[in-house]
Amino acid sequence: MIGTSLCKWAISYFAAAIVWLLLAEVLMVAGFGFPNDDIGGPDTLVIVHMVCIGWLSMVVCGALFQFVPVLVARPLYAERWTLPALALLTLGLTILLAGFLALGGHINGPRWLLPVGAGLLIAGFVLVVANLGMTLWLARPLPGPARFAAVGLACICVTAAFGGMFSLVLSGAAVAARWPELLVSGVPIHAIAGLGGWLTFTAMGVSYRLLAMFMLAPDSDARLGRLAWLAGAAALAVGVVGGVLALWRATGLNLVLLVAGAAALLSLIAYGHDVLGLYRTRKRRALELNTRMSILSLASLAAVAILGAALLATGSFQPHVGALVFLVAFGWLTGLVLANLYKIVPFLTWLEAYGPVMGRVPTPRVQDLVAERRATKWFVLFFAGSWAATLMLLVDAALGFRVALAVVTLATLGLGEELIRARRLADVAEPLRLPTGAAVPHLLISRN
Amino acid sequence: MSEFIDVDVRPILRAGGEPFSIIMAALDRLAPGQGLRLYAPFKPVPLFDVMASKGFAHQEAELEGGEWEIRFMPVGSFEAAEPAPAALADGDWPEPVVHLDNRDLDPPEPMVRILAAAEQLAPGQTLSALLSREPVFLFRELTKRGHQWRGGFTPQKDVYQLTVRVLA
Repeated sequence: MIGTSLCKWAISYFAAAIVWLLLAEVLMVAGFGFPNDDIGGPDTLVIVHMVCIGWLSMVVCGALFQFVPVLVARPLYAERWTLPALALLTLGLTILLAGFLALGGHINGPRWLLPVGAGLLIAGFVLVVANLGMTLWLARPLPGPARFAAVGLACICVTAAFGGMFSLVLSGAAVAARWPELLVSGVPIHAIAGLGGWLTFTAMGVSYRLLAMFMLAPDSDARLGRLAWLAGAAALAVGVVGGVLALWRATGLNLVLLVAGAAALLSLIAYGHDVLGLYRTRKRRALELNTRMSILSLASLAAVAILGAALLATGSFQPHVGALVFLVAFGWLTGLVLANLYKIVPFLTWLEAYGPVMGRVPTPRVQDLVAERRATKWFVLFFAGSWAATLMLLVDAALGFRVALAVVTLATLGLGEELIRARRLADVAEPLRLPTGAAVPHLLISRN
Repeated sequence: MSEFIDVDVRPILRAGGEPFSIIMAALDRLAPGQGLRLYAPFKPVPLFDVMASKGFAHQEAELEGGEWEIRFMPVGSFEAAEPAPAALADGDWPEPVVHLDNRDLDPPEPMVRILAAAEQLAPGQTLSALLSREPVFLFRELTKRGHQWRGGFTPQKDVYQLTVRVLA
């Protein structure tokens, strides 16, 4: 192992992602898309793809570029592919969103916007998957957390492939007329592979290592995470393969979704059990803010499992699927990502700024780069707003949803500012802030 | 008689097994003057002390994929053996001057303490540290400062043993 360097563009991915998140939140506050618009309508698709690709996928890509090398103790396969991938994803998403806006009649645009945008996004994800995939491939046999990431990478391929086909159908390409059922039956697979496989499963895997690292909890037991991985991988395999088979035979998806859902529930229960175990066996008694806020996002995930099961049992899944997806995207994924960014960004900044002089002169601690008390209120607002917004969707209160989203937006802005302050070393007390030989890092790029 | 008995513990460790007794059993089979060639998925640092106490010196070579080939020879017989590769010619490192136990420190404090301790050493001196994880971000700083290091997990995978040699 030659050691892990800083991924030069990881911070750029994080910054681009936060801009997309803010943009999506502002649009939702303004009443754009669901619940004012149809859940499958073009306006909602704009928001969904801003959040899932622009925010969540970008931030996960940046985090994986930095932390997959840590998970497998190997350097990233091709650091030079990370910037082109960022450019392709950004450009592809912009064109895809323009395509949705044209579809919704907001702008005049040619029909090829959607397939071209989707094509660029697929190219970007191919670069990401090839890069991370080769890194993992060369590190076999994989440790537990990296196996989650491997399944996640397979799922983003499925998601992107379906997305590409949808873009052809929606743009009215002749080739798409042969699969009239594709859009109806394919969307659940697209969503399960994307939100469940790529985003949730990857986040679960990485959180095993990050939580153990931050709490000093023992995670050397090879059995840790095995049941969660097996059940989750089975759920995704059943959901995706079964979904494709159901699509091909044009039969209903319900049985497939029921089996996949049961396996997913088992996976989440095993994951919850493992995470509670990590909290219990930790050596670090006092938890930092990022770990405490991760608990709230995990609570959201538990709520997703309970709510999902309850909606299925009462037969009211379909009308409330929007609330469930919102809770997955915000309470669980966005909450977890923001909590961890609040640790990762100061840590990478600290390493870059003070690494060269560490041990030679007194340097601040990582905790000195952040002001937890100030950030706590933004996190509280974020989670309260997200849970309130979910509730408003469940009771069909569109205006209440927008008010709750305004609180979420304010909290996101506040946390964004905290991250910028950490990057600028703005909260470090003066005598220690810039010893000779240390420099303030660039806001958006890491120097090695 | 071949010069070495080969022991490959990689499949044993992959299967979650315990290779120590197999290595010790192989030692018992060695003819006088014969060496042991060990293949391991990580550098078996703790074994070096055990083998030294039994009168064996070692040469190490990193293989592809982070695996290691270690040759243990009865002390004094390396001169007669084939010349060591250039990368291994720096000879054995001196005994560590400083011993750190950083296992229970909050990250990234272990890294800070190792770098601070390294600053206090004279050129060529070494320090040893026990850690609960592989210090992947520390390696980057050590490389930049021109220091060398050797490290590896104990077979139980719960302690990472690191030796740092300050730029001579």
